[in-house]
Amino acid sequence: MATVSYNKATRIYAGQERPAVNELDLQIGDGEFLVLVGPSGCGKSTSLRMLAGLEDVDRGQILIDQRDVTHLPPKSRDIAMVFQNYALYPHMTVYENMAFALKLRKTSKAEIDRRVKEAAQLLQLDEYLSRKPKALSGGQRQRVAMGRAIVREPQVFLMDEPLSNLDAKLRVQTRSQIATLQAKLGITTVYVTHDQVEAMTMGHRVAVMLDGVLQQCDTPRALYDTPQNVFVAGFIGSPAMNIKTVPLSEQGASFAQMILPMQREQIAAASSGGGKVTIGFRPEATDLVGPHEGGLPIVVDLVEDLGSDANVYGHAALDGGSERFVVRTDRRGMPSMGETVFIKPQPNHVHAFHATNGNRI
Amino acid sequence: MRHGKYPFIIGFLAVPVALYGTFVVAAYVQTFQLSFTSFRGFGAATYVGLDNFVRLWDDSQFWQALRNHAVLLIFLPLITIAIALVFAFLLNVGGGAKGGMQRGVWGSKFYRVVFFFPQLLALALVAVIFGRVYSPDGSGLINGLLNGGDDPILFLADQRWALWSILAVLIWQAVGFYVVLFSAGMGSVPQEIYEAAALDGATRVTLFFRVTIPLLWNTVQVAWVYLGIAAFDAFALVNIMTVDRGGPDGATMVLGMLIYRNIFDYSQYGYASAIGVVLFFLTLTFAALTLRVTRRDTVEM
Repeated sequence: MATVSYNKATRIYAGQERPAVNELDLQIGDGEFLVLVGPSGCGKSTSLRMLAGLEDVDRGQILIDQRDVTHLPPKSRDIAMVFQNYALYPHMTVYENMAFALKLRKTSKAEIDRRVKEAAQLLQLDEYLSRKPKALSGGQRQRVAMGRAIVREPQVFLMDEPLSNLDAKLRVQTRSQIATLQAKLGITTVYVTHDQVEAMTMGHRVAVMLDGVLQQCDTPRALYDTPQNVFVAGFIGSPAMNIKTVPLSEQGASFAQMILPMQREQIAAASSGGGKVTIGFRPEATDLVGPHEGGLPIVVDLVEDLGSDANVYGHAALDGGSERFVVRTDRRGMPSMGETVFIKPQPNHVHAFHATNGNRI
Repeated sequence: MRHGKYPFIIGFLAVPVALYGTFVVAAYVQTFQLSFTSFRGFGAATYVGLDNFVRLWDDSQFWQALRNHAVLLIFLPLITIAIALVFAFLLNVGGGAKGGMQRGVWGSKFYRVVFFFPQLLALALVAVIFGRVYSPDGSGLINGLLNGGDDPILFLADQRWALWSILAVLIWQAVGFYVVLFSAGMGSVPQEIYEAAALDGATRVTLFFRVTIPLLWNTVQVAWVYLGIAAFDAFALVNIMTVDRGGPDGATMVLGMLIYRNIFDYSQYGYASAIGVVLFFLTLTFAALTLRVTRRDTVEM
């Protein structure tokens, strides 16, 4: 039970100009499930490892429960970590794996036994306690790794892409299990993933990182509804938002034959963008319209039928170049490949960003 | 490919098998044959049945050599592996995990090279060098340092010390190789395991005994067999360094020396072959037993 704070925490690898993590400021509440997400190399894992003590902090500090742990070794931080490859000790049984940390802390045998059994029951590992990791399936190993963290009863759980080695079905299943477990135990959790679906479904809040810089940290809903910049807008949501830079007019953004209306303050803010503005509209906030309703004609390249609905991928000639678009539609109006359809963004669901710095306006 | 398969395989097999048959198997067979004869290097070999082995049973030198081997067999692997494991640990993970990577102690790259030096020297050279190191007068490194050569320790001439002095050289010479062997083993342990151990609160000592050694067990087992076989040898050092080649008074006698002297000093080819046969079975039994006794679940990473 603890809060975690990154205060301008910076990590610069030897011989590199650009910090791997650049002045990260992040406050994580007691019992919160925070997800760090971003493309590979964005510094999310490094941030987690800085918190774990596996990575040096070059500048700034890290607090756990108001205690400065910046330069403490991993074992003095009262944290437990689940690794991507689980990092189970191959020569120990499941029981020994889970008990190892407690043994080193000189916990009494009875207490160790109680905690391990309890965790095993929680994770449905009872019958595997005497097995070695190699005799377990991927999902079971993952649960042992979780168990090893749980028995410690730490102040903070750290998870570094714990699901990426599981197959798709198991991943979805385990995803909800971890979320449920965290809610039940109420232990502050920092979770790293590159998968935005994982981030959106599991996190109380999600911190999006790029190039070592925190882009936005907010609830999944806020990230989806009001992305603070073009990167977050494009990263969150699947399929990704349609993002185009178009000319700015006095009424708003002029997109193909349409004018997407913007508020006066927005237009004022966008005016320093060299007469351009970047607009974004989600595939699910885009309609297919009839040929004479002023929509942008696109040629359909691919239709993904998802059962419940369908994603239509297509391209259109715009400003002399070929631009790609995605539209989500219900299955009844599903076009076929090669067909020309007309798309129209829903005006009140259009996001506007500054054309040069990419910030939301 | 299917048609060409057998000629291909046979083509590669034939030459090695022929060479192996001529120079290894045939030699073994001849030795076994000779051990049942009283061959003296010339003339016809007379079949004498098990006489050579019976004579061996009553040969005090043979038993002396076996006792010496027993000492080497216990201490050579034990001490060499212990030292090599500690060194390899220090070189690879003993420096802690500052900066995200498990590292060796300060200067580990330098030590890695230095530890391997003895392995590069020919054994005969090592023997000559240590013959000087052990020298009883003031010019010997140890005695010279101890008290300038007065009241020297007679490393090679004192029955109490001779075998241990040889053992020390064997260890000195072998450690470098096993440091490299164990380093390779430690390199194959995933970084995350060390990190998990660090988070679990393992100190360097617990890390060494509870994680590193169990994970290296297979390599240690192999090392034990190699060193055990080396303990049945030790011929080169004994031949070059010791007083009376195997002395004083048999204190450093080994089976290899006994064979050599029986052939080249006494022309007892048949008898020497019998010792060779015994040595062959001793080594074989040792290797099989070691692998058997130390067998554990193989650890997969």
